[in-house]
Parts: sequence; C-alpha cells; structure tokens
Amino acid sequence: MFGTILFICSAIFTICGAVMVAVSKNVIHASIYLLISLIGVAGLYLTLGADFVAVTQLVVYVGGVVILMLFAIMLTGGADLKVVSRYGFTKDPGMGSLKTYVIGGLTSLFMAIVTGKLIYNAVINTTTENQLNMENSVEQTVSKIGTLLVTKHVLAFEISSILLLGALVGAAIIARPVKLGDE
Amino acid sequence: MENTVVSYFFQFDCVKDFLARMSESLGFNVIPLFVVAVFLLAILVVIGGLALVGGAGTLAERKISADMQLRYGPNRVGPYGLLQFLADGVKMFLKEDVIPTDADKFLYLVAPVLCIVGVFGTFAVIPFSDGFAITDLNVGVFYLFGISSLVGVGVFLGGYASNSKWSLLGGLRGASQIVSYEIPVTLSALSIVLLAGGLSFGTIIGAQSNLLEQYSWGHGLPWNWFIFHNPFTIVGFFIFFIGALAEANRAPFDLPEAESELVSGYHTEYSGMRYAFFALAEYIEIFVVCGTAVALFLGGYNVPFKIGGDGIVGQLLQAGVFIGKTFAMYYVVIWVRWTLPRLRVDQLMTLCWKYLTPISLFNLIGCAVWMYLFNGKSFLQLFF
Repeated sequence: MFGTILFICSAIFTICGAVMVAVSKNVIHASIYLLISLIGVAGLYLTLGADFVAVTQLVVYVGGVVILMLFAIMLTGGADLKVVSRYGFTKDPGMGSLKTYVIGGLTSLFMAIVTGKLIYNAVINTTTENQLNMENSVEQTVSKIGTLLVTKHVLAFEISSILLLGALVGAAIIARPVKLGDE
Repeated sequence: MENTVVSYFFQFDCVKDFLARMSESLGFNVIPLFVVAVFLLAILVVIGGLALVGGAGTLAERKISADMQLRYGPNRVGPYGLLQFLADGVKMFLKEDVIPTDADKFLYLVAPVLCIVGVFGTFAVIPFSDGFAITDLNVGVFYLFGISSLVGVGVFLGGYASNSKWSLLGGLRGASQIVSYEIPVTLSALSIVLLAGGLSFGTIIGAQSNLLEQYSWGHGLPWNWFIFHNPFTIVGFFIFFIGALAEANRAPFDLPEAESELVSGYHTEYSGMRYAFFALAEYIEIFVVCGTAVALFLGGYNVPFKIGGDGIVGQLLQAGVFIGKTFAMYYVVIWVRWTLPRLRVDQLMTLCWKYLTPISLFNLIGCAVWMYLFNGKSFLQLFF
C-alpha cells in the first residue's frame, strides 16, 4: 500500500519532469526539470526493489551529469539566435530542416510503438504475478551485482571502463592549455 | 527491510503485545499506523535536533573564534550569549525577503531548497546508535554521497540565479570544488567499505567493535577503529577529512563564499530566511560530514567496554559517544577555519587532482593488497 503510493508519486515526478523538460524554453530551467525527472526515476527503481541501482542513479545523474550539464550550458554561453539573411532581413531560425523532421518523426513513431506495446501488455496481463510485488522484492542486491560484474559481465565492465578512460584522456587533451611555442 | 528504528522496537515483546491488543480492541490492524507514527516521530526528533545543532554551530563558531582571538564573542543574549542563535533566527524571520529584479525567480527560489533537501536527506542514514538510525540502508554510505550531491546543484543555482558577478563566480567555484573533491572522499570511503565488507553503516561500525577476540574487554577502544587498521587507513582518514572540509565549503577551502574577494559568494544576494537556509545547510553539513568521518574511521557509536549493555541506557550512551566524537570533530573544523589562510583557486584544484586523488587511489589499492596479504587482519591483530 505504502509502496504503491511511493511508486505513483515517483512516476508522477518522472513524467511531469520529463514533460516540463520538453515544454520549458529556458535551458537551465529544463535541466532542473530533468533533475526532478531523474530523481523520480531513482524513486521508481527504489520502489521496485533495486536499491543499489536507485542510489547509483542519484550519484551519477544528480551529482555528476546534471552539474556537468549546467557547467556546459554556462561555459558555452547562449547563442545569439537572431540570424541575418543575405538580403539583410533578420529572421528567427526555424526549428529544423526536413532531415531532422524525418528522423524525429521516425524516432517518435518507434518510441510510440514500444510504449504502446508495453501499456497494452500491462493492461491485458493483469494476473497477480505481473503486478508489483513489493513485499518480497526487497533483498540485498549489492553483492549480487558485484559478483556478476566481475564474473559473467566482466567483458562489458572492461569495455565500459576503456570507454571512460578514452573520454578522460580526450578531455585532458582538449582542456590542455596551448603553449605559445606550439603551432 | 533493513534495520530501521521501527525494527528496533519490534524486537521487544511488550511492543508486539501492545500492538496486538490495540488491533483487537480497535478492530483493525494498527501495525502500519504504528510504523508510520514511529518513522514520523524519529524524523521529527532528528530534524529538530540537527536544526538545533546547525543553529548552535553558528554560535559555537563565533564563541570559539572569539576564544582563539582573545575576544569575548557574543555575550549579551542569555547567559554567556547562549541564546544568540535564537535571536539570530528571529532576526532572519523578520527580515525582508528581497528578490533581485533581474534574478531568475524560479531558480532563485529553488536553490536554497535544494541545499537544505540535500543535507536533510542524509539524516536518514546517520547512525546515532545501533537501534536509533532512521534506517540502516544496506547502501547507506553510497546513499549519503548521492543525496548530498544535491547541495552542489543548490550552490551552483544560487550563484547563477542571483544574476550577480560575485554570486556567479562563487557558484561556479562551489560546484567545481564539490564535484572535484567528491572523488578523493569517495575513494577513501571506499577503502573502508572494502575492509568492512559492506556499504551499510551498521556493518561498518559493527566491524570496528572488537578486533581481538581473546581480549573481549577491549570492546570499542580506539585500537579497533578503522583509522588504526593499517597504515593506508590513517592516510585515508586525513584525505577524507580534507576532502570533507572542501565539500562542506569550509576554510581553508571556503572559496565559494570568500568574503574578501566575492563579498559573500553564492549567497550574496540572498536575505532573510533564504539566506538562513544556506547558512543552516552549511552548518548541518559540517555535522553530517563529521558524523560520517566518525562512523567510517573513528569507531562510530561503539561504547568503550560496552558500558550500558544493549538496553535503553546502552542506546543513550551509544548516541552520546557518537555525538560526542562528532562534536570533537566539529571543534577541529572550526579550529582549522580560524587558523589557516584560504587557498587560491588553482592551488585548490592542484591539491585535489594532483595530490589527493592519486594518493587516495593508491590507498584504495594498498588496502586491497593488505586485505589479500594479511587476510583482512588489522595491524594490531598481526601482533596479538
């Protein structure tokens, strides 16, 4: 009962945050709504019994990704959106070209099909085993995740760590101060 | 679920009897109601108590700094000026709440709330005694670092939303500092997690209760603490402490609010209760990081010689020991602030990335190697 209430609250957080991200015109406001949405996702994980994943969601997204996004927005600065055409008229740029509309349309169609299928399955199969089972879903997940990471999924683990190392080296190279002697 | 303050009560038969009788006479199951009531009460006690600690922290800071500078400090309100922080609080309530015209109003209002939520969220896992932690999550340490990173977002947004140069610089500094120092802090906490074999505060503090099995009288004495477990953890403790100072924006790392260059940094434009939220969050966060250091490295709530046993007296003594150690650390934090000069921004980043992070990485590997070589035994266990 209590778990269900928490689940619904988290779901509302997630969906409202996501909608506000899409609707909001100020990009910093959008990242704050994204923060709310991500906290909601952490709540969803928690109510479904994945405590470690929930806390990882908090650490990675709230502590890392959102702060880095804010930094990136601040340091790149707002672009001057007024574009002057070659005839001397100032015009507001459009939201995209034919290419972006086609890609966006296809992506949203795909997402709609997947979500529709999920909702359809959830509505059709309302047997007891498919409902949220929160009473016995709480168990220790940390040690299981740890064991699986270094045994069964060690390849994925290593590949992602190489990816992160590459990102780190790349960031260091980009951020390196250019000396006068270079070039 | 995990150990909570509720599960502590459920181990007593009289509580179970009482609940059963209440359910019978009232005609419905009162256990959920009891659980919610106990949780609410515990949260009320912890938040009320720690808000008081935050207020008293401001007074302690002023009194201790006055002591170090051969002054009297506040001594007008109440005996020895003890009620000064209440007077300050009333003043904050009565002040006008100014919002700058050009500020981003939404973010301006959200920022102090994020700070206070980030700090209050950590209370859920602070282990006061083995019965009284609101909940002993099995990912407690991890949760604490996760939820307290909201403070960084709050500091950053406070700086951005005020639309003032000083605030913006303070906010940028604050966020970059918090993000950077999270790494050595987390790594040195991780080495303790490695030694204890668990992420919950209960496991970590339990592992520090008694190392020498043949000398059972030595329960809770300093040699059981993780800081003296092996040479790496001593270094780890100091890295943790330095990093925690930086994460709580305390001198010598108080660059986000460096008053001699940035007026008062990210909360320059704030006034009234919103300013008080920032200040309160800062002082409570010091308590939280000191409490974390005590739980991870300094034995937590283990009472020496197990005085008081497991009953109510024991619980109170445990809470007393924990809070006492934390206040001792709190004193050190204030002492450091009034003794050391502030670092420059580049020195701050150099210290974190070129010194603390490599040392803490080395420490983590060192702890792992020690665990492997000596089968998890502490320095002391090797000799006795």
